[in-house]
Amino acid sequence: MRHFISTAFLIFGLGISNISHAKIDLVTLPDRDKTQLTIYNSADLTLVREQRTLTLKKGLNRLEFGWENTLIDPTSVQLRAPRHAGQVRLQEVSYPKGVKGSAIWTIESDIAGPVPVEITFFTSGINWHAFYMGTLSEDEQHLQLQGYVTIRNYSGEDYENASTRVIVGKIHLLDEIAALARRDTPYNKPDGSRGRLPMTMAVGAMKQKAYREMDMAEEKMQMNDMVAPKDIIKEGLSEYFMYSIAGTENIPNQWGKRLPSFNIKDIPIRNLYRFEAERYGNAAHRLVYFRNDKKHQLGNEPLPDGKIKVFREINDKQSLAYTGQVHSKYIPVNQEVELDFGAAREVKIEPVLMSEQTENYQFNNKGNISGFDRIQQWEIKLENNRDIPISVEVWRNFSNAYWDIDNARNNKGKFHKVDIDSVKYTVELPPQSKSTLAYTLTQYEGERQNR
Amino acid sequence: MKFQKTLSIFFITLAFSNLAFTSPAYARIKLVTLPDRENTMVRLDNPQATLVEEERILNLHKGINKVDFSWKAVHVDSDSIRLKIIQHPKDTRLINVSYPPNSQSLVWDIYSPEARQEKIRISYLLANIDRLVSYEAITDKEETKLDISSYMILRNFSGESLGPARFQLDYGEGFEKSINDGESKRMLFYQANQVKISKSFTFDAGKHPWEPNKQQTNVGIPIHYVLENNKNNQLGKHALWGGKMRIYQNDGHDGSIFLGEDKPAYTPINQKMKLYVGDSRDVVVTQRKTHHERKNIKRNRNNQIILHDKVETMQVTIENFKEGSDHQYH
Repeated sequence: MRHFISTAFLIFGLGISNISHAKIDLVTLPDRDKTQLTIYNSADLTLVREQRTLTLKKGLNRLEFGWENTLIDPTSVQLRAPRHAGQVRLQEVSYPKGVKGSAIWTIESDIAGPVPVEITFFTSGINWHAFYMGTLSEDEQHLQLQGYVTIRNYSGEDYENASTRVIVGKIHLLDEIAALARRDTPYNKPDGSRGRLPMTMAVGAMKQKAYREMDMAEEKMQMNDMVAPKDIIKEGLSEYFMYSIAGTENIPNQWGKRLPSFNIKDIPIRNLYRFEAERYGNAAHRLVYFRNDKKHQLGNEPLPDGKIKVFREINDKQSLAYTGQVHSKYIPVNQEVELDFGAAREVKIEPVLMSEQTENYQFNNKGNISGFDRIQQWEIKLENNRDIPISVEVWRNFSNAYWDIDNARNNKGKFHKVDIDSVKYTVELPPQSKSTLAYTLTQYEGERQNR
Repeated sequence: MKFQKTLSIFFITLAFSNLAFTSPAYARIKLVTLPDRENTMVRLDNPQATLVEEERILNLHKGINKVDFSWKAVHVDSDSIRLKIIQHPKDTRLINVSYPPNSQSLVWDIYSPEARQEKIRISYLLANIDRLVSYEAITDKEETKLDISSYMILRNFSGESLGPARFQLDYGEGFEKSINDGESKRMLFYQANQVKISKSFTFDAGKHPWEPNKQQTNVGIPIHYVLENNKNNQLGKHALWGGKMRIYQNDGHDGSIFLGEDKPAYTPINQKMKLYVGDSRDVVVTQRKTHHERKNIKRNRNNQIILHDKVETMQVTIENFKEGSDHQYH
């Protein structure tokens, strides 16, 4: 923290009713004793907790707190003296006219001498995300999953020897911390522009640059981290999950850090190819499933949402092929993970309308058509061009709740009515094989729905 | 803090030797020194506008006195200005108000039967000065209780610096403060500890997707804390103003984590305050319609349906993936 607090913390004596105070008793602020960062990933927000020792006198003390050139939200700043609870109070924070990035604190103290205090505030510009590396076995029956936590700092501050925690969860936030940090007056003006400020180009470009540098830095850091991986302590709090990284970290401004979180081998997986025109278009999607539970050697913690780069072992584990990158949602303990690899090339599923006819016409009193049945014959062609057996799921959705279906007797697999307007077929296909699902669908239109 | 240049509610008291209906060209006879502002009261009870009331002592001369009130560069609502005679309301009289052209000022003609001091009260609405309320709250690990600190934030961009003035809220004694033009001040307002809260999860079939597993991102179930503004909770003394509340949780390691923030509505005494904290992604609700039927169909003479009952069957699956739970409900 170069430009923040250390230079801008001046303690001066107080002439009470005199607003144009003179700076008396200038005290240099001691270094931070400890820093803790709690970093969120659902919003650009980090809770910073600093421990410092202030030398106070009995009565009112004035202190200048500055945050210029940082991304700190000045409205979030709090001061506590945990060891002297109730004896040290931050009475007033004043943001004088024309002074940007600075506030005057009035601290009332019942004690004189050095007082350890805790200062907490929000900053933007530090974030973290989860990242995974997946390796499929050659028969695609197992997956090795390596989880990482990546932290990036472009807050404008260096954080040294900071104990670091990251939070998984979706918090409700009213204002972006970055926008609060850039306000001219911390609480805006009464009639003023209360809305969020757009991010300026300069800040955007700064972030872009920082991100690029981070990517490079990250790889270097990762090499170092691999030498002695740190423990990550995991616990649930309210609806969130917290990862505490053992020991402390140095996270200089513009730097990133990737820490390994877990490495699980041989997770049994289920492969599925699913076709649902309304959801995926005309191609089957390739999906991989496993459950975040003990049976799958997981289940110790929720899996934060993040990117997974997936590879497959080939040539008797001698080399790797890149399967693709997917995004995983947040997966609580015991929930099934669905990884969607997108449109499959080697599995083809095509519904073909073979015939359509209408019958059972009904007429109203004026002789107009008031209802009829629409009868369609469908064949769904399934093709597995892979060298391994696969499971296929075909979903069919209907436009209304009034229909009957008649499945061909020689259909393979299972049929399941999911709800009022959708059905599902599940079929196992051997390697390099073809199959067909046939059904007759009768849809009732108009008055025929009241039959 | 003394009254500064701008709201130079600047008083010039002019007296005239005779009530000269005969002499239209008034001559200024005596200029009285500017009286200090006394007992300034700033009423912050109406969130739409701030009312300032200030008392002054005028040295009036016998006859008509001209008192000039100007508010250059100060956001005074000119239609709101009122003058009240306090000391001798029976015979000191406000006769006339005139507005000089192109200036933010007015001139009161005040008649006094004799030369004497007169206390007056001037009231006006001042814009761009107001108060905000914000809250910081911390809950225990079990999420059953909340310690709340409330802060008042005074914002003064009215163009006028207010020297020690009494700020009056919609209840209680009020407080004395100075605040300069362009300044904002945050002050600790009150604290209430161990406020009982209940926590709720809300799935709204009208808002949330029915099949969360078909969504690209997790569907969060909103979590709310509900507390009551009553005496048992060390509250209930006054309505709680709406304002941003930041909620933290004790992390069990001598620290805290931030849970989320919300801006609750104005909460009268004995009413409930509901706070949207964040979303749970460990609770998953899936809803399906499994049956639909029209029954008791009634037709008119033209055989058209005029009435029918709709019978629908829903299946709602609630899954709780939170630690220590193994439940699935239908």
